[in-house]
Amino acid sequence: MVLFIVDLLALFAVYLVINIGLNIQQGITGIPNFGILFAVAGGAYITAGLSTRLTLALLGIQTNLNPVSDNVSVLQLVNPILRSQPIIAISLFILFLMIGGAAGAAMGLISSAPAIRLREDYLAITLLAFGEILNIVGQGYTPLIGGPPGVNLPDVLAWAGEYRFYAGSFVLLLVAIAIFAVADYIIKTPFGRTLKAIRDNETVARALGKSITQYRTVSILIGSTLCGIAGSLWVIYSGAITPTLARFDWTFLPWLMILLGGMGSNRGTFVGTLIFVTLDKLIIYYKYTFVGILPFDIIWLNYLLLGLIAILILIYRPEGIVRETQIKQRPSPESKKFSQG
Amino acid sequence: MELVSLSTVVAWLTYSAFLSLMALGITLLYRTTKVANFAHASFVTIGAYVTYTLTVAFSSNPYVGVPVAFILVGIISLLLFYAVLEPLRRRNASTVLLMIATLAIDVMLTGFINIHADYLTNAYRVPSRNILLSGSDFRYIGQPGILFVALGTLAICAAAIYLLLNFTTLGIALRASMENPQLAEAIGINVSMMLAISWFIGGGLAGIAGALIPLWTEVNPSIGTILLASMFCASIVGGLEQIYGAVLGGLVLGLVDVIGTTVLASIIGPWVAFYEPVIPLLVLSAILIFAPRGLAGINLRRGKQ
Repeated sequence: MVLFIVDLLALFAVYLVINIGLNIQQGITGIPNFGILFAVAGGAYITAGLSTRLTLALLGIQTNLNPVSDNVSVLQLVNPILRSQPIIAISLFILFLMIGGAAGAAMGLISSAPAIRLREDYLAITLLAFGEILNIVGQGYTPLIGGPPGVNLPDVLAWAGEYRFYAGSFVLLLVAIAIFAVADYIIKTPFGRTLKAIRDNETVARALGKSITQYRTVSILIGSTLCGIAGSLWVIYSGAITPTLARFDWTFLPWLMILLGGMGSNRGTFVGTLIFVTLDKLIIYYKYTFVGILPFDIIWLNYLLLGLIAILILIYRPEGIVRETQIKQRPSPESKKFSQG
Repeated sequence: MELVSLSTVVAWLTYSAFLSLMALGITLLYRTTKVANFAHASFVTIGAYVTYTLTVAFSSNPYVGVPVAFILVGIISLLLFYAVLEPLRRRNASTVLLMIATLAIDVMLTGFINIHADYLTNAYRVPSRNILLSGSDFRYIGQPGILFVALGTLAICAAAIYLLLNFTTLGIALRASMENPQLAEAIGINVSMMLAISWFIGGGLAGIAGALIPLWTEVNPSIGTILLASMFCASIVGGLEQIYGAVLGGLVLGLVDVIGTTVLASIIGPWVAFYEPVIPLLVLSAILIFAPRGLAGINLRRGKQ
C-alpha cells in the first residue's frame, strides 16, 4: 500500500507539471495544443539520449563501449560511481531537467510556427498530427534512444540507496510543487493577465497595444518547456524509455485532467490531476482482480471508462470542478474613495 | 533506371482512393458540425473489423463487409451525434470542447474495438491483430482487385454525394443547413435532423473505407489512428470548406507520399522509406503556411486566397 502511494505521487508529480504547461496554453491563453505529446516526447527522448553520454563525459570515463547500443554494460560502469557521489548525481539530475526543458522549448518553438498563423480547428489537427513525429524518429534513428528496444538511463537517484524509490517520488514531487508555485505566481502578474485578456478578447488586447503573436509564442514556449521537463522527470523516475509514448497517455489524459479540474484555474489543475491519477492508478491496481473473469484485457475497460467520464464532464459540467476565479486585487485608496462615492 | 514503375502507380492510386474516401467523410462532417472529427480514426477501424468479423464468422467474401460497414458505422455515428454532439451544440459549446468530445469518443471506441478483437481471438481461435485478407482478393489484368474496387467505390461515393447535394430536395436542405443554420431553421428546415443525416453519411463513408482496408494493408486496432494524420492532411490539403476538395487532396497527398518516397529512397537511400509517415505532416505544414485554407481555398481567378 505504501509502495502504491509512493508510485502514485511520482505519477502525480509528472502529470501536474504537464498539466500546468497545458493549462497555461489552453486554459490561460486559449491555444488548443492537442500535440503536447510532441514536447513531452522531446523532453523524454532527448534527455534519455544524452544522459549516458553526458554522464560519461562528466565523470571523465574513457570507454570503447557505445553509450546507446552497449547501454547496459556502460551503466554497470557508471551507476556505482553515481551511488557513491551524491553531489555529482544531483547536479546531473538538475542538468537532465534543464535538457528536458530546453528540448521541450525547442519543440514548442516548432509548434508555435503554425500556432500563431492558424485558426483553432486547423491548429488542433496540425498539432495532433505532429505529436507522433518523435515516435517515428525515435524508432528509425537508433543513435537517439536505440530504436524500438529503447535505452536505460544512468540512475541519478541511486545515492538514496535502499530508499531510492521513496527519494525519487519525493524529489519529483518537490520539483512539481515548485513549478506549481511559480506558475501560480506568473498567472497573477501583468504578463499572466495579458494572456487571459488575449484569450477572452483578442481585439481588445490588440487595441491596448499588446502583441498577440509575441504573447502566444511565449505562452507556448513556457507550456512546452514544462512538458519537456515533465518528460525528463518521467524518464529519470522510470529509468528506461522506449519510443512508444502514446497519445492516449500524454495528450488525452492531460486534457481530461485539466477539463475535470477546470480550465484556466491552476488550483483546478491540481485537484483534477490528483483525482484523476488516483482513479487511474486504482483501476490499474485492481486490474488483476478481474483477470480471468473478463474475456478481454482490463486495460480496454479503462479506455471505455475514461472516454465516458470525459463526455459526461463535457455535457454536464464543462467548467470543471474548480471554477476559474478572478484575480484578487487589493483596492487602491483612490478606488476605495470612488466606490464610497 | 526506372524510378516510377507500374507497381508504384498502382500503390499510389490505391492509397489515394482510400485517403479520398476517408477525407470525404471528414470534410462532410466538418462542413456540417464545424468540428474536426477525431473519432474518424475509430470509425475506419470499426469498418475494417466488420469485414474481418464477417469473413471469420460466416467465411463470406471480404467485399460483403462494405455495405454492412456503411450501415453499421453510419448508425454508430448517428447515435454518437444524438448522444454527444447534439447536446453540446445546443449549449453552444466551443470548437475546442467539441474536438475534445470527438477525441473522447475515439478513446471509447478504441476500447470497444480492442475488446471485440480480444473476443474474436477467444471465441473463434483466430488472430485478431495484423490481419491481411489480400490473399483472398481477385485479380484483374494482373493487378489486385482492390485497386479497381477502391477507385470505383470512390467514384460512386463522390458521384452519389454530388447528385444528393445538387439534385434532391434533401440535398438542398442539407446544403442550406451547412451554409446558414439560422436561416435554414427560419424557413422550416429541421437543421438538427439534417446534421444527423450528414453524420450518418460521413460515418458510413469512413465505414466503407475501413471495410476495404483488410484487402489493402495489415489491420490492427490502431490502423485508424495511424492513418488519422494522413486523412486529415488530405482533407485539409483539399480545403475543409470544399467537399470535393477531399478527392483532390487524397490524390495529391497519395502522389506525394508514394511517388515521393520511392523517388527519394532511390536517390538518398532506402532508409528514407522508414520516415514515410512524416511526409503527410511536411505536406500539411507547407500547404498551411502558404495557403492557410487548403488548395481548394485558393481563388485562382482573383489571384489571392
